[in-house]
Amino acid sequence: MLRLYLTCIRNTLEAAMCLQNFPCQEVERHNKPEVELKTSPELLLNSVVICRNEAEKCLIETSINSLRISLKVKQADELENILTKKFLRFLSMRAEAFQVLRRKPVQGYDISFLITNYHCEEMQKQRLIDFIVQFMEDIDKEISELKLSVNTRGRLVATEFLKQFI
Amino acid sequence: MILLQSPSKYLLQILTTRLENLDKGVELDSYWIEFNDVRYHVQASMKNPNLLFLSVSLPPPPPETVSFGGLPPGAIEAIKAAYGVVAQILDPPRDGFSLTLKLNLSKLPPDEEHKHGVLTKIASVREVVLGAPLRVFLKQLASRTVASDIDKVVALVHRPMESFFLIPQVEKVTVVFPMRFKDSIDILLATSFLKEFVDARRTAGLNNAPPCSWSPSPPPELKGAPPEALSSNAGFVSFVIFPRHVEGRKLDRTVWSLSTFHAYVSYHVKCSEGFMHTRMRRRVESLIQALDGAKPDYEKAVKATQNRSFKRLSLKDGRSSLKSFS
Repeated sequence: MLRLYLTCIRNTLEAAMCLQNFPCQEVERHNKPEVELKTSPELLLNSVVICRNEAEKCLIETSINSLRISLKVKQADELENILTKKFLRFLSMRAEAFQVLRRKPVQGYDISFLITNYHCEEMQKQRLIDFIVQFMEDIDKEISELKLSVNTRGRLVATEFLKQFI
Repeated sequence: MILLQSPSKYLLQILTTRLENLDKGVELDSYWIEFNDVRYHVQASMKNPNLLFLSVSLPPPPPETVSFGGLPPGAIEAIKAAYGVVAQILDPPRDGFSLTLKLNLSKLPPDEEHKHGVLTKIASVREVVLGAPLRVFLKQLASRTVASDIDKVVALVHRPMESFFLIPQVEKVTVVFPMRFKDSIDILLATSFLKEFVDARRTAGLNNAPPCSWSPSPPPELKGAPPEALSSNAGFVSFVIFPRHVEGRKLDRTVWSLSTFHAYVSYHVKCSEGFMHTRMRRRVESLIQALDGAKPDYEKAVKATQNRSFKRLSLKDGRSSLKSFS
């Protein structure tokens, strides 16, 4: 199920990631990512929502010079909820190092990317798409591994404590 | 280190070093603080190298606990029983401290093993003093004598302004801990750890461990306790201690484990958070590397560093080239 979800996202990105430089129409000598402003409808494509289930989805909004990908990650219980929030906040705070990461997620989602034509000029399109897809897999993997480490440590802590009484 | 150790490493080190260097006696005046707000002060002078003054300050007790002149009930007897002639209680204790002991190192037993045993016991002064009231109840359980406080809820201090509860009975003692944490992540992690205690108890091999349970609200045994002492955000953990858990040598260990239960859980919650931070940092590094791989220059840069080769020049080469001239 995860494979299908990721393949669908990959195909959509391949189609959407055709970005070109576009100086701002409204303000002279400015160059802004149009997907963030959304002021000129002729520069925007229809946004696409790809749902894996009720809890997980991916929103892809495209414009002539920029592309925004927002992810909502599954959070089954309180612990997963807090681990996801902690981890994604950790990543978003380092958005500058990631370049394509947005500092704040779009309303209603857990994490967002902003890819501009400049990124596409610096980096290979295929590799960039590979990176986004790998990022999504890594988030899933990291949250489950963090949760597992908490449960394993809890079991160990409890067992060692109780063993003292025997 | 998974379990918290009873003897304070730092204090034990000070004592053993002092003993090894009695003839080279130096001035010693050291203050330090340990978990749950237990403060220590050690002072020794060159005039009497055998004398050492150890002061301990205990966490302030909440109103529902009983204390006699700043020390928990039973502490003075416990100190006398544990240290004998080596330690003398000074009255009043030094300013700002609950207890000051005058240690006479010349009164230590002569043979190495016993000497080290007494020093370790001195370094465990925290367990002796803070754990004294608990020890009294558990000793009564071991000898199955009837205590005066039977079936009543007793509050004992374990953290600054916080207590845990004992319900002593003839054949068992129930110990209940209201668990409180300041941070919301701590609360969630601690709750998940505490639920594991209940699950772990059920595994084979731990059948003789004290039965333990967790509940989000105060258990029925705590009916008589004051409501302000019953607030908690990570639930209540109860252990039922039977005589087999406190017979002989197990008594000291049980006293220490129960006295420091909250500190133990708190310590592991913090370790867990530290571990998660390390993992997240590592994951961030690997993701950034993957992103760098998307840049075409990255590959060229990697190839360039791999193709470079260096020839190590040495003095011999220089000399040999000189020789060819002469």
